[in-house]
Amino acid sequence: MREPTYFVLASLLDGPLHGYAIIQRTAALSAGRVQLATGTLYTALDRLAAAGHVELVREEIVNGRARRTYGLTASGAGALRAEASRMAEAARLVTNPGHRAKAGGPARKANPA
Amino acid sequence: VTPLQRRCGWLLRAYPRWYRRGRGGEILGTLLEATPPGRTWPSWRDARALFFGGLRVRGGWTWLLSVLWTVTGAAGAGYFFLASTQPYQDDWEVIPAWIPLGATGAYIGAVTLSFALWVLLPLPVMIAGLVRLIDRDLRLVAWAGPWVAGFALMYLAYNWGNYPSADLTYTCAHESCSLNFGEPSVVSWGELGICAAWLVLAAVMTRILALRPARGQDVPGRWEARPQSLTSGDLQP
Repeated sequence: MREPTYFVLASLLDGPLHGYAIIQRTAALSAGRVQLATGTLYTALDRLAAAGHVELVREEIVNGRARRTYGLTASGAGALRAEASRMAEAARLVTNPGHRAKAGGPARKANPA
Repeated sequence: VTPLQRRCGWLLRAYPRWYRRGRGGEILGTLLEATPPGRTWPSWRDARALFFGGLRVRGGWTWLLSVLWTVTGAAGAGYFFLASTQPYQDDWEVIPAWIPLGATGAYIGAVTLSFALWVLLPLPVMIAGLVRLIDRDLRLVAWAGPWVAGFALMYLAYNWGNYPSADLTYTCAHESCSLNFGEPSVVSWGELGICAAWLVLAAVMTRILALRPARGQDVPGRWEARPQSLTSGDLQP
C-alpha cells in the first residue's frame, strides 16, 4: 500500500469525510508530509472504492456542485490494520535489536580478508 | 464563473466526458476549496495530478500511446503529401523532399523520430489494447477490427503506390527509368485517402480505449446505481 493510500484510509478512521476534508486530515495526520493533490485524491478514492475499502456515505449539493462524503468499510479498516501491523513489524527490526536477532538469527560478521 | 473556475474546468477536460458527468462537479469543488484564496491559476502540482488522473481513467499509457501514434500518423500523412507535391531535387533523391537537400540536423532528427515512432508504435499499442480489453468481448472485436483493416489498407497503399525499389533507384540514377524527375509522383491522392482512412480507424481505436466501462463497473456508475445516495434531503451533515 502506498503512503498516500494509507493516509487516506487512516483519515477516515474517525468517521466519514468529504474530499477536501480528507486532504486536510491527511496532511494533519502525516504532519504535513503527505500533501494530496486533488487529482491524486480522486485516483486513490476510485481505486479504494473499486477494491471495496471505501464507500459513498452521502451526497449533498454545495454551491451547485456535488459534495460526496466517503467512509471506511470493514474491508478498508482490515486492510489498514494489516498494513499498520506490517509496518510496525518492519519498524521493530530496526528499533528492537532483540526482535531482529529472534527473526533472522545473529548476523554473520564480514570476513576481514 | 471566476478565472480560476474556468481554468480548473479546462484541467478537468483531461477526464473523459462520462467521468466528468459523474464526478466533475465534485472534483472541481474540491479543487477550488484546496486552492488558496487569491490565486487565479491552479497549482502545477494539481494540474499534473489531474492530467495523470484523467489519463488513468481514459485508459492509461495505452491510450496515450494510441493518441501519440494517431497524431504522428496524421502529421506524417500531411507531411508526405506536401512533400509529394514538390519536384525531385536530385537524381539520387528517390523520395522527393522527404528530407530536403540542405536540411538541418534538427529537421532530419524530427522527421526521422516521427517516422520511427509511427513505424514502431503499432505493435506495442495493439498488444497493450488487446490485453486491456481482453475481458470485454465486443470491444476486443471492435479493437482488433480496425487493426486488421488498417494493415490491409497499408498493404493496398504499398501496392498501389509507385514506390521505387532499390533496383529502380539504381536504374534511375544511371539510366532512363519510368520516374519522371521534376514531377511529384510518390504519394497519390488515392494513397492519401487511404492514409486518412487509417487515421480515422486509429482515432476510433483510441476512442474505444477511453469508453466508459460497463455500467456499474466504474466508480461513478456504481454510485449512480445507489439512488438513496443521491437524495440529499435527509442526509445533511
